[in-house]
Amino acid sequence: MDHGRRTRLSLMQTDFESVNLLGGEQDVSLLEILDHVLNAGVVIHGSLVISLAGVDLVYLGLNVVLTSVETAMRKIKEEEKRGAK
Amino acid sequence: MSRVLAYCGFQHHPDISLPATGVQGSPVQAIDSGALRLLWSPVEWPFDPANMQQHAVEFHGAVSHIFKQTAVIPFRLLSVLDDHTALTSLIAENQQNFLHDLERLKNFVQMEYVIYPAPGVMQANRSSGTAYLQQKATALRSAEAFVNNMSQAIEHLCSEVRVREAKNGTRCFALVERGREDEFRQAISSVPIPEHLSRRMSGPWPAAEFLSEPVRSPQITPMAGAN
Repeated sequence: MDHGRRTRLSLMQTDFESVNLLGGEQDVSLLEILDHVLNAGVVIHGSLVISLAGVDLVYLGLNVVLTSVETAMRKIKEEEKRGAK
Repeated sequence: MSRVLAYCGFQHHPDISLPATGVQGSPVQAIDSGALRLLWSPVEWPFDPANMQQHAVEFHGAVSHIFKQTAVIPFRLLSVLDDHTALTSLIAENQQNFLHDLERLKNFVQMEYVIYPAPGVMQANRSSGTAYLQQKATALRSAEAFVNNMSQAIEHLCSEVRVREAKNGTRCFALVERGREDEFRQAISSVPIPEHLSRRMSGPWPAAEFLSEPVRSPQITPMAGAN
């Protein structure tokens, strides 16, 4: 039984890494906004399919929170470690 | 398919104005449970990835509209619920936890700074593996010392500071009293930065890093037959 939602997005992981590399000190960049609205705050449980270049790379199960790509990648590694045991 | 997008929760007060529109230009609405008010709007789901940046700005605009007036608990942009019934369950089941966090954080904002290697300043020493590792260790110790110096410089302004290692540097989150953001910026700027490091400040943001775990991942009773 599936109580979650599936979300299909095509996001580049680099969008969330480059925020540290921008110049200036006080302006709010689009990348900072993206980082915060996707990666900070309340998360609601669901399921997520991440697509890169039109190819579904991963499917995260119901117990993985709906989250940004960066956080999702960390979750995937944790799931893989648990699966290998 | 229409879904319900949650923006943020805050303590209800009649003087707080609401944003007119949110993501996809849809009208932002409020739902109350006791003293807790939660912003939401209907959205077409799933989002078109081509419009994600625009949606992010719209979402940020709606949350910021409230955050300028009071403390908020932000949801993440992708926090969509099946329908209004699910939203009602969410706010009813989590009201106390949300209000507890809002009360705890009501006088604070989150300021951030990131410390990272200055681009192009330090060339990797590839003469040997040992030399490379020694250079890395030295750079790491220098960055740690700088983070400590920064933390000391802002200590009197912060209720709490959390430090997290990111892929390209060190990310620090400070819980600062609302209205003292400029003092925080000045305190950060007053600390001399080593040539091989750079820093970047941002804020004020909602205090998302300091939410309690029950608020960060709220419980929602699954609805029978949901897909």
